[in-house]
Amino acid sequence: MPPVLFETLLIGAGTYLIRAGSLSLGSRASWPEWARKWLSFVTPAVLGALLGPMLLLNGDHWPSITHNPTLLAALPTAAVAWISRHLLLTVVVGVVCFALIVHI
Amino acid sequence: MSGSPVKAALQDSLPIVTAYFPIAVTFGVLSVAGGIAWWMTILISVCVYAGGAQFMLVGLVLSNSSPLSTVITVLLVNLRHFLYGTTLGPSFRQWTERHKWIAAFGLTDEVFAVSSTRLREKEPTPVYQFAFVFACYASWVSGTVAGAGIGQAVPTSVSQALGFALPALFLALLFLGERTLAHLIAALSGALLAIAATLLHAGSTGIVIGALVGATLGLLVREYSGKLRQKVP
Repeated sequence: MPPVLFETLLIGAGTYLIRAGSLSLGSRASWPEWARKWLSFVTPAVLGALLGPMLLLNGDHWPSITHNPTLLAALPTAAVAWISRHLLLTVVVGVVCFALIVHI
Repeated sequence: MSGSPVKAALQDSLPIVTAYFPIAVTFGVLSVAGGIAWWMTILISVCVYAGGAQFMLVGLVLSNSSPLSTVITVLLVNLRHFLYGTTLGPSFRQWTERHKWIAAFGLTDEVFAVSSTRLREKEPTPVYQFAFVFACYASWVSGTVAGAGIGQAVPTSVSQALGFALPALFLALLFLGERTLAHLIAALSGALLAIAATLLHAGSTGIVIGALVGATLGLLVREYSGKLRQKVP
């Protein structure tokens, strides 16, 4: 079995179990307040952890800001995300900004 | 309300359906351009059905990460869905167990965001919820098929620019959610820990550590600032 297939099946099954299990449990018992609060912080923390190295590092070294198109494009993208709260608009603006910065 | 529940569901799903299709096309193009087979690309969308996680998966596969750390990292990214289920759960109390398990398949970020506002007004019927959820799923899968189909014909410069769709998607998801100081601190400390881990060559364990510590710090900031506010007369 190629590793991608193995990973896809495990991630698919795991994601489904998280979704269905929590809905099933959530419809029966209510969760302690602290657990729900903690879970609400997992999302921004994971996203931050994914974004940090992606935006600031190139492999394992720091590129200077002028040689880092990903970080430069992230600034207007973050502004659009903050103001519009619109998924598709943010992605479109981001890709266009990145393309412009890379080609200048 | 006039009209059938299916019609109402399709109307409500329209913003998600229109957003999903082009993002799924982007996913298909990137995955095939990176060298993943077209059928595998489609299978990823069919099985996983989570935008950020799928881009993440392709990125990790193309950078030759170990299968185990790939699976753990992506599942950790999807752990937030646990919150969605537990939040929406009470609205599904009257449903049969089977119906709950069918509807849960389509519980993505955007479906949750739309459902959680709608469900507060009115308890969902299975017919409405299934139509809503599977319209979004159909858009996602057909977008992936289209993207995988044109993937190899897309020039490298275009697929390189499309690669920025991933950080853009993460930024959108970050700012789409709650934006209190505590949430921003959770994101920031997650980012710093992941950067530190990468510099120390700890690889994707940094994401796991960043997520767990960041979430805990966010919670502590929330609790602490709440207590401070109580002390102010």
